[in-house]
Amino acid sequence: MTGPRPTRKEYVARQRALHGRPSVAVLPVHYPKELLTALGVLAVELWGPPGPPRGDAAGRLQPYVCALARNALAFLASGGADAVDGVLFPHTCDSIQGLATLAADFGGWSRPAFTFLHPRGPPRPSARAFLRAELRSLAAALEPLAGRSLTPAKLAWALELHAEIHAARAALLDQRPRVALSDPELYALLRRGEWLWPEEHLAELRAARAVMADRPAVQGVPILVSGYVPEPPAILEALGAVGAYVAADDYAAVGRRVVRPGAPGSAGPEEDPWDRLVARCWAAPPCPTRSADPGARAAHLVALAERSGARGVLLHVVKFCEPELFDVPAIRQAFAARGTPVLVLEGELEAELSAQAVTRIEAFVELVSAREAA
Amino acid sequence: MILRRVQYEAARRVVGPVLASLDAWQRRLRRRRGRPRAGPFGPPLQSTRKLKELMAVHYYQGRFADGAVPVAWVTSGFPVEVLRPLGFHAVYPENHAAICGVQRLVPALSDAAEAEGFSRDLCSYARTDLGSVIAGRTPVGRLPRPDLLACCTNICQTVLYWYRALAERLGVPLVLVDTPYVYGREAKPHLLRYVRDQLEELVRVAERVSGRRTEPEALAEAARLAKVGTDLWGECLALGRHRPAPWTAIDGFFHMAPIVSLRGTEACNAYYRLLRDELADRVRRGVGGIRDERHRLLWDNLPIWFAVRELSTLFAERGFNFVCTSYTNAWAEAGSRIDPADPLGSAASAYTHVILNQDLPNRLGILRRLARDYAADGAVLHSDRSCKPYSIGQVDLKERLAAELGIRVLLLEADHSDPRAWAAEQGENRLTAFMEGFA
Repeated sequence: MTGPRPTRKEYVARQRALHGRPSVAVLPVHYPKELLTALGVLAVELWGPPGPPRGDAAGRLQPYVCALARNALAFLASGGADAVDGVLFPHTCDSIQGLATLAADFGGWSRPAFTFLHPRGPPRPSARAFLRAELRSLAAALEPLAGRSLTPAKLAWALELHAEIHAARAALLDQRPRVALSDPELYALLRRGEWLWPEEHLAELRAARAVMADRPAVQGVPILVSGYVPEPPAILEALGAVGAYVAADDYAAVGRRVVRPGAPGSAGPEEDPWDRLVARCWAAPPCPTRSADPGARAAHLVALAERSGARGVLLHVVKFCEPELFDVPAIRQAFAARGTPVLVLEGELEAELSAQAVTRIEAFVELVSAREAA
Repeated sequence: MILRRVQYEAARRVVGPVLASLDAWQRRLRRRRGRPRAGPFGPPLQSTRKLKELMAVHYYQGRFADGAVPVAWVTSGFPVEVLRPLGFHAVYPENHAAICGVQRLVPALSDAAEAEGFSRDLCSYARTDLGSVIAGRTPVGRLPRPDLLACCTNICQTVLYWYRALAERLGVPLVLVDTPYVYGREAKPHLLRYVRDQLEELVRVAERVSGRRTEPEALAEAARLAKVGTDLWGECLALGRHRPAPWTAIDGFFHMAPIVSLRGTEACNAYYRLLRDELADRVRRGVGGIRDERHRLLWDNLPIWFAVRELSTLFAERGFNFVCTSYTNAWAEAGSRIDPADPLGSAASAYTHVILNQDLPNRLGILRRLARDYAADGAVLHSDRSCKPYSIGQVDLKERLAAELGIRVLLLEADHSDPRAWAAEQGENRLTAFMEGFA
C-alpha cells in the first residue's frame, strides 16, 4: 500500500469517476450485498458514525433511542452522506425501521431511499417465498440507480465473489493466532470491507492470508467478543494493553455476518442464483436482529469459545439496543454454566473509550488471567 | 381433564360472576359509607361495573384454564380470531402488565427480571411480564400456563424478543406472525401474501396444539364477531366527538380491555353495545366526562398507567378533557378491513395495516384526522421510554401538528408502566405550564 488511504468520500468519488459506480449508504446490519455488487453499486455501510450526534437533527430522536439511529439521522441530515446516491435501510430493529420513515418522509434524506425487509423467525416456506420476492423487489428498485438490469449471470458472479470474501474473512477470524496483525490492524482490515469495492477488499484479505504464520503469532489471554460494532476501536487497544487479544468474534458488524464455507448458500453455482441468495441470507451465524433464538445464539457462542480457546467473554452492547439486550441473560447463563467469566460493557458509540470502561476491561482480563493461573 | 373443564366453566358461569357481584357490592357499600364523590369528573359510567365484572371473570376463569382448554398467550395485535374457533383461552401479557402498572407493581416485578440479566432499558411491559413469570407473582391470582405463545410483530419487534424469552423459559412453542413494515399507504402484494401464508401456517400449528380442526364457518363467525366488535368500539369512541364529550379518553384506556382481550367473542360485543348506548344517552342528556369541558385534547401513545388518575385529574380540574387517543383508536381502525367471507386474507390486510406498522406520514394523517374530527385544540404526545416504535418521530410529529393545525402540542417524557422513569413534579409542572398557555 502506498500513500495515505483515501477517505470514504474520496473513495466514493473515485469509484464513480473511474468505474461509473453509483454508491448507496447502508444502515446495519444484514442486507443482500451480493445484489448491490451484481448491479455495480458500491455499498458504504453507516455504523453511526461514532461520537455525539452532530447537526440540527441531533435532537429529533429521543435520548432513549440507540446512539446508532440518533447519529445516523444527524449524519444524514447534516449532509454527511451527500457523496452517495441513495440510502438502504434494512429492517434491523424498530429504531432503524423508524429512522427509515423519519429521514425519508420528514426530512433528513431527500435522495432515493430503499428498504429491505428481511423476514423474522425461522426459514419457513412462507418466509422463503417472501424473502425471494423482497430481494427481487429491492433489485428492481435499485436497477434505475444502477443504470442496468440484474442478470442471473451477474448475480451468480457476485455470489461467488462474496463467498470467497466470506471464506477469507472466516479464515482470518477462525485462525486468529496465526494472523500476524494486532487486533486494531486486523479489525481495520476487516472493517474496510464495509466500504471497499468487494474485489479490492478480497485482494487485501488474500494478502493478509498469504502472510499467515505456521505457528501462533499472537499470544495473550484469548477473549471472545460479541456485541454490535467495535466502536470505539480503542476497546481493542485496551484489551491488547492488558495482554488480551480477540480470539473469536461475534460482533454484528464483523463475525456475525460471516458465512462460513459449507453453510447453505456458500457454494453451489449450479443452483438458481436467487435460491442461493435466499439461502445465503439465512446462513450467517445466529443474530437477534434476524430473530434467532437466544438459546441458539448462546450455543453458537459457546462453540465459538471452545473452538478458539477463549477464556473470557466481552459482551459489548449499545445502550438501548433491544435485540442485543434481550440475549444477554441467555448468554450469561450459558457461560456461567461453564465457569467462563462474562463482562457486559454498554456503550453509546462514543468516540473515545471512557476511563471507567478501560478500568473494567483491565479488571476483567486480570480476573480471567487469575482464573487461568489458579 | 373433565374436572378441570367443569371448574373452568363454573368459573365463568357461576363463581366468577358471583365474586364479581360481591366485589361490586362491597365497593358500593364503601362508597355509600364514604362522602359523596365531588370532583372535576362527570358522573361515573354505569357500564364500568359491567366492565369490571367481565374482566374479573375473564381473569378468574383463566386460573382454571390450563388443563381444561388450550391456552395461548398472545400479543395485543395478534389475529386472535384464528384461535377462537379452536377453543383457546387467550391471555394478554400486555393487558396483564398494564394491570401491574396501574397497581404500581412494576418496580418489584422488573427487579426480578433485572436480577436475571434483563436490562432496565428494555420495554417495561416485557420486564413486568418476565418478572411475573420469574417471581411467580401476579395481581390476578394466577395466570394459566400457556400451551402456545402467539406473537405478531405489527406492534413492535420487542414482542418477538420478549416471547422468545418466554418460550425458552416455559418450554412452550412460539408461533410468529411477522408483519413487515408498510412504507406507503398500502402494503405490497408480496408482503400481504407472506402474512396470509403465515396465518395458514398458524392455523395448522394451533390445530396441532389444540387437537381440534378449524371449521371454516366457525372461523368466519369469529371474524364477523371481531369486525362487529371493532366497529362497536369505534362507535363508542366516535361519541367523544360531541361537545361535551360523554366520557374521557382516559376512561377509554380502561374500557378498551375487552376489545384487546376478548375480541372475536359475543361477550365483547355485548359489552360495547351497552357502553355505546350509555354514551349515546349521555350525549342526549348533555352529560360530560368532565363537569366543565373548556378544552379538548388528543393523547398520543400508550397511557402512563401508574399515574393515569393523577394526570387526568390534573387536567380535568382545569377544564381539559382528553377526547381522543391514537392508542384506543388503533383497535377501531382494523374493522373496515376484516371480511368474514375471507377471514385469513382480510386478517392479513387488517393486522398489517395497524398504526405502528405503518410509516410516519400515515401516523401524522391519523393524528391530524383525530384532532380535526374531535375538535381538539391541543395534544399531548407521550414520549414513552418503553415504546420506541410509538415514540420515534414524535419530535417531528409535534412540530407538524402544531404548524398544520395551529394547536398547542406538548411532548411529555415518561414510561407506560415503570414509575422509576417518571419525574412526577417536573412532569406536572410541564403539564401545568402547557395548560396555562391556553388561557
